[in-house]
Amino acid sequence: MKKKAISVLLAAMIGTALLAGCGSSGVTGTSASTDSAEAKTTASASGSDTLQVDIWDNNQLAGLQQIADEWTKTSGVPVKINVITWDQYWTLLEAGASGGEMPDVFWMHSNTAQMYMENNMLLNLDDYIAKDDAIDLSNYYEGIVSLYSSDGHQYALPKDHDTIALLYNQAIFDKYGVATPTDDWTWEDVYKAASEISKKGAADGVYGYALNTSNNQDGWYNLIYDYGGQVITDDHKGTTIGSDESKAGMEMVRKILTAAVPQTMVAESGTDSLFQSNIVGMITQGSWMVNSFYTAQDHENYKWAVLPYADVNGNGSCDKGERQSCYNGLGWAISANTKHPDEAYSLISYFSSKEGQQKQAELGVTMAAYKDMSDAFTSSFDGMDLSAFTKIEDDGTLYFRPYTRKTTVWEDAIQQEGCFLDAWQDPSDPAKMAAACDNAQKIIEDAIANE
Amino acid sequence: MSNTNVKHKAKMTPRAKSEAIWGLAFVAPTITGLIILNFIPVFQTIWQSFCKTGDFGKGNIFIGLKNYQNMLTGSASAEMWQSLWNTIKYTLVQVPFSIAIAMLLAVLLNRKLKGRSAYRTIFFLPMVCAPAAVAMVWKWIYNQQFGLLNNLFHTNTAWISNPKLAWLSIAVIGIWSAIGYNMVLFIGGLQEIPHDYYEAALIDGANGWQQFWNITWPLLSPTTFFILQTGLIGALTVFDLMFMVMDKTNMALSKTESIVYLFYTYSFTENNKGAGATIVVILVLFIMLITFILQKAEKKFVYHP
Repeated sequence: MKKKAISVLLAAMIGTALLAGCGSSGVTGTSASTDSAEAKTTASASGSDTLQVDIWDNNQLAGLQQIADEWTKTSGVPVKINVITWDQYWTLLEAGASGGEMPDVFWMHSNTAQMYMENNMLLNLDDYIAKDDAIDLSNYYEGIVSLYSSDGHQYALPKDHDTIALLYNQAIFDKYGVATPTDDWTWEDVYKAASEISKKGAADGVYGYALNTSNNQDGWYNLIYDYGGQVITDDHKGTTIGSDESKAGMEMVRKILTAAVPQTMVAESGTDSLFQSNIVGMITQGSWMVNSFYTAQDHENYKWAVLPYADVNGNGSCDKGERQSCYNGLGWAISANTKHPDEAYSLISYFSSKEGQQKQAELGVTMAAYKDMSDAFTSSFDGMDLSAFTKIEDDGTLYFRPYTRKTTVWEDAIQQEGCFLDAWQDPSDPAKMAAACDNAQKIIEDAIANE
Repeated sequence: MSNTNVKHKAKMTPRAKSEAIWGLAFVAPTITGLIILNFIPVFQTIWQSFCKTGDFGKGNIFIGLKNYQNMLTGSASAEMWQSLWNTIKYTLVQVPFSIAIAMLLAVLLNRKLKGRSAYRTIFFLPMVCAPAAVAMVWKWIYNQQFGLLNNLFHTNTAWISNPKLAWLSIAVIGIWSAIGYNMVLFIGGLQEIPHDYYEAALIDGANGWQQFWNITWPLLSPTTFFILQTGLIGALTVFDLMFMVMDKTNMALSKTESIVYLFYTYSFTENNKGAGATIVVILVLFIMLITFILQKAEKKFVYHP
């Protein structure tokens, strides 16, 4: 009888394993089928397999697949785009790189680009770019181009760039009779409005603001730079996060936090879900997230304003350097040992060409890495005013997302216990925020020393 | 045993020889798989724990016991000991409860009962679900703001954000997931006990509790021991629950993260394979110690008729 029970058990386990297997192959089938129809006829001619492309943002899948299908029409090579969540993306890619089994084409990010380039994991694109009429690197944002070059060689083509803006819920501001954010707001104005909403909305469980320690690029990094501090210095070898300027910026963050959702709640639900549940008045978000709010249930209440500035010199107007927006840009990279380097380059060249970038912006995937194309992106979302993302390109200062050789080591550590998380838990105490800045200084310096 | 084998070998007939060769040929695929996928990585991991590892598995530099020094007494030790303690705490709650509840259910569901197989299926269902999916659902059940639990009982408890409570909340998920599997094994064990014993006991006037204590418990002890042993190893290597439920910025993370979670952070997030390998070796040694103690206790604990 025991045997019977165990055999039933084994059968069940094998059954589920089979189901899982069917499930995953089924998924492959459906997503490949979109382009296989026309591809099959031509693919056999060039004799090549499907190009495997890995990305981490599900919001961009549909638009990118559409652009890739356009490319397939002329090249005859089918493209399959796989979405892997941000956390697992790097684990998988690193394992693939160690074992020599990387996807043909994939996204690169400032956090890890240096490591991949130095170890020759990415295909050197110099010769391809030199022969390619569609790509002229001077057409793209310099920070992104230089990020993906090492020792004078280019290892990825710029894919996009992003800026940050203030997102607010019009309905909440109206309900409590608070004046809505304008493009001239300072962080002090944000604090005042947030505390007014938190006070009046206390009975309804509504808060003025939400910010987690992990909202760095789209959140508190920008205040540090507004006040003249730097998370990572320009040479990528140091930090001034413990300086008086940075502490002044984080003190402003602390004030806003006193009127924000408690950190425990933010950690459990996430700022975006809280905002979309209509219990948070304001958050800051990046342009890459627009689609998620555009398609949200109550999207007509969601409005964007230019990222606030810090009136450091107190003259009542925004001067140079007082309004800073972090920007980052992904790169299209090719595995160094791909079997189809020519096809892969042809694909990423199409993605990064003027035509591909225009399509990417018009489809509302993200803002282009190609300069002067941001308007195509902002006008692609009918009924939602996104000028806040382009205004800051003209009026504000863009600085590149802080990175070093092993960014995640310190980036994670300063978000956690023993650093800024302590201050987030108890925003009423200014000493804790100052201490967290000092801890961050030490954590980043130690991490860089170990790189 | 080995002596008889040697004798046997010496007298091997051609037929026996050919059988042995064929036998080896048939197990060869499994053995090669084991060697390539299990044994070689084991030694690689041990080697890595003595190295400052380079990117992408290249350029490892031998540094002797420095990783161990750092992990046991150095700057990383506080977090390592804390997460080992977290894992032990989790094990001490998860294993006994998942065994006790499963045994109770098995005894109840082993009787003639209307809809018995339906109940059995329901209790076994958690086992069929992917652990990551289970953890995701529980994460939202526990959510302080929108969670089912707080809304049902009109409480405002921070189930997974309160450092004193979070590890217990995680253990509850672990118990819930393990009950079904344990129960099926217990039912298997129960059905092996001959009915005559219970009939005899009934005639002798034993009540239900006496029957359980004097018949069921000793005769079930081999199954219980098997579940205890595999359960302990499973609980000591828990990872997915913490990984899925706890956000990186959760204040309670340091009081709940398991030792395998810490290994993951070192090896894959921070890309420090040497430190990760060191943690794994420490964990393996710890599990070996526990298993050794268990094997010693087996003689006392398990009833051998």
